[in-house]
Amino acid sequence: MRRFPPGGYFGKVLIVDLSTGSGRTAPLQESVLRSYIGGAGLGTWLMHRYCPAGIDPLDPRAPLAFVFSPLVGTPLTTSAKFAVVGKSPLTGRLTDALASSHFAIAGKLTGHDAIVVHGACEQPSVLVIDQGDVSIVPAADLWGSSAEHTEATLRERMGPAWRCAAIGPAGERGVRYATISHDGRHAGRGGLGAVMGSKLCKAIAVRGRGRVASADPAGVLAASKDLRERSFGPATAKYRELGTMSNLLTFNAISTLPTRNFSAATFEGASALDVGEVSALKQVARSSCASCSIGCEHLVKGPGAKKTRMEYENLFALGPLCGVSDAEAVVAASSLCDELGLDTISTGGTVAWAMECAELGLIDAPWLRFGDADALLRAIEQIGAREGIGDLLAKGSRAAASAVGNGSEAFAAHVKGLELPGYEPRTLQSMALGLAVNARGADHNRSGAYEADLSGDHDRLNGGESHVAGAIDTENRAAIMDSLILCKFLRKVFADPYPEWATLLERVTGWDVDADELERTAERIVLAKRMFNLREGWTRAEDWLPDRFLSESLELESGRKATLTADRLDAMISSYYRGRGLEPTGVPRPSTVEELELQALTTDLDK
Amino acid sequence: MGSPKAALDWHGSTLLRRVTGIVARVVTGPVVVVSAPGQTLPELASRAEVVTDAREGRGPLQGLAAGLEAIGDRAQRAYVSSTDVPLLHPRFVEYVLRRLGDDFDVVLPEIGGYRQPLSAAYRVDLLGTVEELIAADMIRPAFLFERCRVLHVDGEAMLEDRTLAAVDPRLESVSNLNEPADYERARALPGPEVQVRRFGPLARSDTPRLQTVRAWSLGEAAAAVGLALDEHIVAALNGDQIIRDSQVPLVAGDAIAFIAADAGG
Repeated sequence: MRRFPPGGYFGKVLIVDLSTGSGRTAPLQESVLRSYIGGAGLGTWLMHRYCPAGIDPLDPRAPLAFVFSPLVGTPLTTSAKFAVVGKSPLTGRLTDALASSHFAIAGKLTGHDAIVVHGACEQPSVLVIDQGDVSIVPAADLWGSSAEHTEATLRERMGPAWRCAAIGPAGERGVRYATISHDGRHAGRGGLGAVMGSKLCKAIAVRGRGRVASADPAGVLAASKDLRERSFGPATAKYRELGTMSNLLTFNAISTLPTRNFSAATFEGASALDVGEVSALKQVARSSCASCSIGCEHLVKGPGAKKTRMEYENLFALGPLCGVSDAEAVVAASSLCDELGLDTISTGGTVAWAMECAELGLIDAPWLRFGDADALLRAIEQIGAREGIGDLLAKGSRAAASAVGNGSEAFAAHVKGLELPGYEPRTLQSMALGLAVNARGADHNRSGAYEADLSGDHDRLNGGESHVAGAIDTENRAAIMDSLILCKFLRKVFADPYPEWATLLERVTGWDVDADELERTAERIVLAKRMFNLREGWTRAEDWLPDRFLSESLELESGRKATLTADRLDAMISSYYRGRGLEPTGVPRPSTVEELELQALTTDLDK
Repeated sequence: MGSPKAALDWHGSTLLRRVTGIVARVVTGPVVVVSAPGQTLPELASRAEVVTDAREGRGPLQGLAAGLEAIGDRAQRAYVSSTDVPLLHPRFVEYVLRRLGDDFDVVLPEIGGYRQPLSAAYRVDLLGTVEELIAADMIRPAFLFERCRVLHVDGEAMLEDRTLAAVDPRLESVSNLNEPADYERARALPGPEVQVRRFGPLARSDTPRLQTVRAWSLGEAAAAVGLALDEHIVAALNGDQIIRDSQVPLVAGDAIAFIAADAGG
């Protein structure tokens, strides 16, 4: 007789109604777990299941899911991760934000594979989950505090066994790119902190005392030792030795560093942001997420000697993207975003758009200029407080550009409302496609197509069929890594990933899963996200890049021009649709839906 | 020469690999190698296409016809090169192609008093004319030049282009190797000077980030700074293409960035 739940799972989801303070569990069928695994995949299924169609993301009825995975709680390196999944107030589409922390372990060990919250508290409160017991604790005194202060206060009050995910002031005030923080890390993209804030939920505190067994404990232990050893090899050297900040000079050298709101791809001030040379960016401590052997976190000295986590995306978005080369100011801006609970990429992207608008006289903010570090900090403060121009910018670049008009939409660098990460699409044309078509919007974690561009296997400036294949392949691999969940920084450690991932999953769950099944699972998860967006009104027009990228060329050091025409992007998108089994409209073909067993998402959910 | 020139060693690569690699650095269209029937060619860059000249022994016009036919409608202009010019510089190819405007059918360099039909640019739509000449047994290039609009460019005029003059002041791009001694002399030359910079974890505190080394290929440049291209290390050539192929040819003035292959962040 088959065992249920399978190893690594509890086979149930905790559903909390914040309006009543009550919780109930619902079973998760093995077929669902095997089809969507966990993390971003299972979160997508949960949104199909529990999110009312067409709902405003900030409506109390909108669900917010904290989704764990079968590997959480095992000794596998980088497995202490979880996904926060919901409908994004920034994009109006599905978003899933991943993070690593002890919250993942404690949350899962409450005895649930996911926690879905809906409703809203009557007053600012903390949701407390102690195993299966749910309670709402008023916390007006914490409203207005940073997430870090909230976490520290709650653990002091409740005890060290408790782990917390909290929002900062930006989430409380509905900034549409507010984050959810825990252990100083953020579930960052898509503004789910604002969803939590709309529910007057300042924090979720969890204490887990359960245990979850693996099907093959000895096998899991052996795999953990092997993976840990490999995680110390050359594939992760960059992350261990310098952290991702070292990307900045590299990207500058290959004309891939977004500068001054994507008007250039090299930054004349890049050397002032050289992690290897600039004292403000020198590491004062190194840290790692829970259960991680890589240790990519390089902490630098921030304002008031506070240790501040810095990584490439903070550095690019608050530095070159805003034309700022003052390293201390960039660190201070990043620290301020952490304190307020703001996604640094969307913050930098929206401020950079505003700087360009101000320089063109399209908005009344003459103080806001590219390269002005004080202006950057002032803008971030105003966003966090929703004061002055900050109220407009708190809506993100798409909504702000829509309000300002006058052509500013053309240089609002977003896809589906999500601001672009630090990868220039004209000089990384597989990535251009990945950014355009991904369900979450312009994103480098769900679509790592830059890997294909930087592989040396094709001309990164001349997008074509190989670029499409690269975008599909990296998107599929991301779907599995985000559902197992394993850190992307391990990806080069896996020489032949699907068989290796299948072995890990088999040892934990006991399923006879193989590489072919996982590849189909990847395709299913990617399309399940697309189908959620379709339900919410997505059209093909959303799979596109802003006009700036299609009308302005960039010149490389070699003299070559990097040009991405609308025709070329359109051709790649059409090819991507064919490769994914979609109609020319971007809608999954009935045969694809059947082949990937996606019909259950539209017909069989017991709502 | 005693053996086919195409396969002659060139510092761990071959003459053909080097010349096709240099042309490929300039053109965005196809790179076509015309081979003799039954000829075994050395390994080529992935972009190179091979066509066989079915009528061997009919001279350069027959090879030109085979190449132009293979290009078809994929390009309007073609640079034509022999395989034995290891000192060919991309700026030379670029210059010759650039001069081929709408008013001419051929750009024909004349260097050292000699016409250089195998270092020249041709309009692809000359194919019909070339085939007519071959059919009439008029197989010398001079017959073609009598039948079309030729821009003759002498070396002095070429060197007025500062970019070209800076990297190939003696126009050695057209120096071919006719005798074994020519080959040995050329092979004994020091490699071109290139600038190498290491990024991220490849940069070391005990060595300068920016170094000047002599290297004929990317592999030689990597070795000169203690690196090897593999699944973890790639190179960007002049800030442009990302390359993992160690045989990619280098020329004077190149700037190479060695970077970690994993650019995640």
